[in-house]
Amino acid sequence: MSDESIQREPGGKPAIAVEGLAKRYGDFEAVRGLDFEVSAGEVVGFLGPNGAGKTTTMRMLTGFIPATDGEARIAGHDIFAEATEARRAVGYLPEAPPLYPEMTPASYVDFVARLKDVARSERKTAVERALTRCGLLSVRHREIRQLSKGFRQRIGLAQAIVHEPKVLVLDEPTVGLDPIQIREIRALIADLAATGGQTVLLSTHILAEVEAICQRVILINRGRKVLDRPIAELTSDGTSIEEVFTRVMTRDETSLGSEAGESR
Amino acid sequence: MTHTLTIASRELRSLFVSPVAYVVLTLWSVIAGTFFLASLIGFQERLIQLQQYQMLQQIELMNLNDELIEPFIGSMWVILLFLLPAVTMGLVSSEKANGTDELLLTSPISIWDIVLGKFLAGAGFVTVMTLIVSFFPAILFVYGEPEVGKTLSGLACLLLVSVTYVAVGVFASSVTRSQLIAFVLTLVLLVMLGMMLPFIVDITMAGSGLGRDSAIAEAVRWMSTGSHVDRMLQGLVDTADLAYFAISSAAFLLLSKTVIESTRWR
Repeated sequence: MSDESIQREPGGKPAIAVEGLAKRYGDFEAVRGLDFEVSAGEVVGFLGPNGAGKTTTMRMLTGFIPATDGEARIAGHDIFAEATEARRAVGYLPEAPPLYPEMTPASYVDFVARLKDVARSERKTAVERALTRCGLLSVRHREIRQLSKGFRQRIGLAQAIVHEPKVLVLDEPTVGLDPIQIREIRALIADLAATGGQTVLLSTHILAEVEAICQRVILINRGRKVLDRPIAELTSDGTSIEEVFTRVMTRDETSLGSEAGESR
Repeated sequence: MTHTLTIASRELRSLFVSPVAYVVLTLWSVIAGTFFLASLIGFQERLIQLQQYQMLQQIELMNLNDELIEPFIGSMWVILLFLLPAVTMGLVSSEKANGTDELLLTSPISIWDIVLGKFLAGAGFVTVMTLIVSFFPAILFVYGEPEVGKTLSGLACLLLVSVTYVAVGVFASSVTRSQLIAFVLTLVLLVMLGMMLPFIVDITMAGSGLGRDSAIAEAVRWMSTGSHVDRMLQGLVDTADLAYFAISSAAFLLLSKTVIESTRWR
């Protein structure tokens, strides 16, 4: 790994800083006043039931959709005021990998490298490195449409890392993969954080995944944060991570229920 | 600018490997060939007729430009109205359907890069279509002596119209994620712009009492491509007509940019 890829934020600034982030769709509040920070080099699991606002939050962080309210900084760049810099600093794998089925992995990753402003002199190496890391060398000249879901997910990951972003935002990177592919993708993500010093925010439903690769977990429910703790702390008393989550979720749902009851 | 070209070249490569491009180019070539042959046979028959009646004066007046090339390019323009929507329908809509809009909109590029990239790719494609058409008048230069200037202005006119229509297509393609809807919308817009506007204006203006020569009627007639095309096909290259093509392209591209930007805010 080259030295520049291990750059951390100077002065210990958080790689991701989110303050009061909110998104409303008409009357529906998808995300309400979310606050959290992720420091450089950290791997954080972003958990929550379906519809909790994980994807919406990630889409706001990556600049795909604008936030209704609140602030967010990626590697110190405000996602609104310095949108271009913030986008350059982030690698994003959406829920469905954004692929052109008629392209080959090699040409596709090269296309993304151009979009992400990888310098012309470094582009070839960057593409090569991304393809190698994601295990795509054997299929690099095949059409994407002919490739399996596992390969497509890896191509999605390759496009997210090709410009060596400081921050990786991965929306359910292992969904729909078989157990072996899941293990490979997890190993790859862990490796990226360990050797590339990249900060990773990944969403998932799978608790085991969080335990396997994340140092910290942020649990959200109905657009609000309900838990933000290091994994080690959560399971230190011997309880399984599953129990912890069930407890937190039940408590949250009950309190929401009683709130609703009072207001009626 | 580099981003615009990046998007344009990717799109162009994808266009040329898409089945729809092959269908369009094949149909376009076959239709062009058929029309050209028909025009050629018509020209010859008229010539023979005139010779039989010994109408030497009319034979003098007959020329390849007015009676063969101009009507030929004119009919290709009409075919274009119906074929071009198939080329442009996927330009932006397929990005939404593929989910690749999420890649483009989270990249450090501007929406203009996307809009202009798509427009350039479409313009590249219609350049190929125009080259196919120009092959046929080129044959005439081997056997006859058509006017170079007039022929070139006719072909330039076809290219300009096509490029303007690509801008319309980019717009229609950016309002929806469905290629079918984009196709129908482009077709409707092109038929309106290309052929229907003058008729609609005549009918409504006559009924509204404003008269056919009112300012609105003139304005709407100006918006129609028909009159501008006719003049250019006759070899009259007027800056007013060139401005028409530039303004309409710019207007539709601006609309596309606005649409893409606003869908993000929903």
